[in-house]
Amino acid sequence: MALTGFPEPAPAGDELNCVLCHKHRGLSRIDENGKFRLFYLNQELFDAGPHRRNKCKDCHSDIDRIPHKPAKKVTCTQQCHIVEPSGNVKFSHQSIADTLATSVHSSLDAEGNPKPHHEDYPGCKDCHDQPLYRPLSVYKGEVKPGITARAISRCKSCHTSGDFAEDFYEHVTSRLHKTRFPMETIEVCAKCHQDPDFRERHELDDVVTTYKQTFHGKLIALGSERTPDCLDCHVVPGENTHLIEAQDQPTSSVNKANLSATCRTSDCHEKAGAMLAGFQTHVTYDRDKYPLQFYMLMFFKALMAVVLYFFLTLIFLELLRRLFPRFAFFKDKEGNTPHHRIRNKKPEA
Amino acid sequence: MAKYDPIVYKGGKRYFYRFSAHQRVQHVILFSSVLTLALTGFPLRHAEEPWAKPLYDFMGGTELAPLIHRAAGTVLLGLFVYHTIYWLALFIKNDLGGLKQQGRLTFGSGVKAFFTQEMVPNKKDFFDILHVWKYLLYFTNRPPRHDRMSWREKFDYFAPYWGIPILGPAGVLLWWRDEITHFLPGIVLNAAYIMHTDEALLAVLFLFFVHWYNVHYAPEKFPAATVWLTGYLTEDEMIHEHYAQYVKIMIEAGLEDEVKPQHFAGEEYDW
Amino acid sequence: MRFFKRLIFKLYVLFLMAFTIWYGYFMFPLIFGFEGKEAASTSLLELGGAEIETEEERMFAKLIKEQTQTSRTDLGYKLIEQPYIEGRFHHIGFELQEDQASICVRCHGNVPHDESREIRSFLNMHAFYLACETCHVAEDDGTDRQYRWYNKDNGEVVPNPVAFRDIEESYRTESASFYPTYGNYGAKISPGKEQGGAFAFIHGTKEMAFVERFISEQDRLGPEQKSQMKQVIHRKVSSDPIVCKECHNETDQYLPYAELGYPRTRVGELTDTSVVNMILKYKEFYIPSFLSPGTNDEGK
Repeated sequence: MALTGFPEPAPAGDELNCVLCHKHRGLSRIDENGKFRLFYLNQELFDAGPHRRNKCKDCHSDIDRIPHKPAKKVTCTQQCHIVEPSGNVKFSHQSIADTLATSVHSSLDAEGNPKPHHEDYPGCKDCHDQPLYRPLSVYKGEVKPGITARAISRCKSCHTSGDFAEDFYEHVTSRLHKTRFPMETIEVCAKCHQDPDFRERHELDDVVTTYKQTFHGKLIALGSERTPDCLDCHVVPGENTHLIEAQDQPTSSVNKANLSATCRTSDCHEKAGAMLAGFQTHVTYDRDKYPLQFYMLMFFKALMAVVLYFFLTLIFLELLRRLFPRFAFFKDKEGNTPHHRIRNKKPEA
Repeated sequence: MAKYDPIVYKGGKRYFYRFSAHQRVQHVILFSSVLTLALTGFPLRHAEEPWAKPLYDFMGGTELAPLIHRAAGTVLLGLFVYHTIYWLALFIKNDLGGLKQQGRLTFGSGVKAFFTQEMVPNKKDFFDILHVWKYLLYFTNRPPRHDRMSWREKFDYFAPYWGIPILGPAGVLLWWRDEITHFLPGIVLNAAYIMHTDEALLAVLFLFFVHWYNVHYAPEKFPAATVWLTGYLTEDEMIHEHYAQYVKIMIEAGLEDEVKPQHFAGEEYDW
Repeated sequence: MRFFKRLIFKLYVLFLMAFTIWYGYFMFPLIFGFEGKEAASTSLLELGGAEIETEEERMFAKLIKEQTQTSRTDLGYKLIEQPYIEGRFHHIGFELQEDQASICVRCHGNVPHDESREIRSFLNMHAFYLACETCHVAEDDGTDRQYRWYNKDNGEVVPNPVAFRDIEESYRTESASFYPTYGNYGAKISPGKEQGGAFAFIHGTKEMAFVERFISEQDRLGPEQKSQMKQVIHRKVSSDPIVCKECHNETDQYLPYAELGYPRTRVGELTDTSVVNMILKYKEFYIPSFLSPGTNDEGK
């Protein structure tokens, strides 16, 4: 393919020069189901994540020439050309899919039959978009987001060829903290768990809204990354984040028997008493489920309403009184005479 | 009390003593810690509002702001304890001590002495509340004649005095959540959470409107009353807000003939 | 003086009364609103009161709900804000700027081409840079026709881009934590003419007024009137468009690229092998009628 005149060379992964067309922001259409499909690829953001080492064809494997017909859906579990360095085997997301299949989010029940509303259960793309690195620069004990030349220089003194140092540095430092900002994780869960129709179908409480009312949720909304999001409490301890189990499973992290261990993990409330697990996280203020919280809330609301609206009315009337100062239905008999004079029956000065 | 003259003259005007320096310092500590607590607490309470994050970041962010909040809370709780001791000491020394000297100290007279304390609500307050409604609904043209502490000032006073014992311990529980769960069930934290956040809302809504109306927004006070700095009220303020006390002080000072008539609505200031 | 003082006093009191009422409203949700209020919970199962039955209706309701949704990705060193498009895997990186100034978009939308299956995405890609009437222009003498860029927000003429980067690469700023220009020139090419010494686009304010009027009054129009008015609105456009090779060829191009500010390298690409070859390939491998799409793209 002739590339003469291009201001920048096409990226290495782009053998077929896919960006010749896919760099255009308007490359889009409305599909047969009325969905907006945008075929634009932001090269810079594609290069900011682990998939940058893949060629387009590694995932979009049915495309072998351009121009091409509508492509098939990508299967995340297919093997790609990347070799996983520790085991020296070709990389695939199959093991993640296997884990997901044993979790509460599997669309099949234990016998392998589809669960009711099985179409609601998530696949890879329901929670994941193109992953992006969130590298950290560590230099002289100072940790900050991003990647500085000084921080990576220690890798690059030996690993000079290609992007090896960058790839590993960004991959590892991204994995040393949350690879997604906690609020984004919560929004991922909220896509289904906050949807009222979904909750009705599966008989679930609005756990996202109730979580957001906890100190955990509020600190995250204010930008903390040290506070637990959904995954920190709900993933089976020591397993990868795709293994979330239902509360009634004996190994579930939120099973009553395991709850206090989950709160008191050495990374969180290490010194807390076992009774910390009695704290109710997802409080809906439902009268039957959470009577204590419900009646306390009612008490405070009533108190606030009475006190505040009493004084509000008083001040409003006082202001109104100032607008018509001289008017009154009955004039006071004493007038504005000092009351001691009336009491002492002294003549007016 | 003796070191403050009930009436001082400055530039030919009378000023009436109200708060001692000791009390004024307590007020400064009170309002600075309460404002700090509100500024570091409310962004958290309303974390999802657009203003919350910028304000919280300004107050120190998720790492520092909680520490500031706890420090200010400690100061406020300390002030609460100090103020209680201060009041009790004065009460025991001046009132009970006086009764003892006269040999009249019994349980009954002690309780009676308590109810004559200036901050304690009494029968006059009840009638003043009735009177003020009569006045506000145009049934009379004479506002109530308050003594040294009007019922509204007493309410202003007891608002933090009931608020702190609810907010403070709840805050302490939430602060030491890890330690207390060795002794108390976790649901106590749920209760503490509601107590802390809702009582704080009441306190702040009350402060920003009712108290600030009394001392900032009201036309004769705007932009701000000065008594919290100087400790003295002007004669106009005195007549307007504490007419009964005004007359008493004037008579005690031998200025009976110079007592000015009570302000009726609209006549109080030269607007 | 005394009068003014009293006036100010009364006004201040009135202001305070208004403030008091406002405070009462302000407090109400704080006091009575349950914190557990169902955030973002308008059910999808209502569509103007009607029950949703089919998948398409569900989609329609969802679109209405999602219209303003954006997704935020915080990388710590960079914040990416982009529109949320369900099912999209790759990142966009910026807001897609909509054309507010085109009269055609008012009815046909920003993604108007959908009939010719093989090339509709390509045509929509062109619609991002070109106004509809640039290609779908009605026959006239065509002699003194000129082309200018117009601002997608307000329709006013904007100067030519000075560098290639202005059009297609402007979002690539070295260390910026966001994309200030959202990655486009914010303008489209549109034809016009010299009129009374000043340049005017073919679709000017008059046409826009027609369309606005038509949209606001179409409920009251009879079927014949509607057809007649559509005729008037579409008088300057044609369903028989300019085709690919008229621009993408090496000798004589329909659009004056250089005049519009395209740098020489880009003009080379557009008229040279990479693009022209692909068009030929398309012709060979997929659809023989590719070079004249108008013939199977009728009836809009």
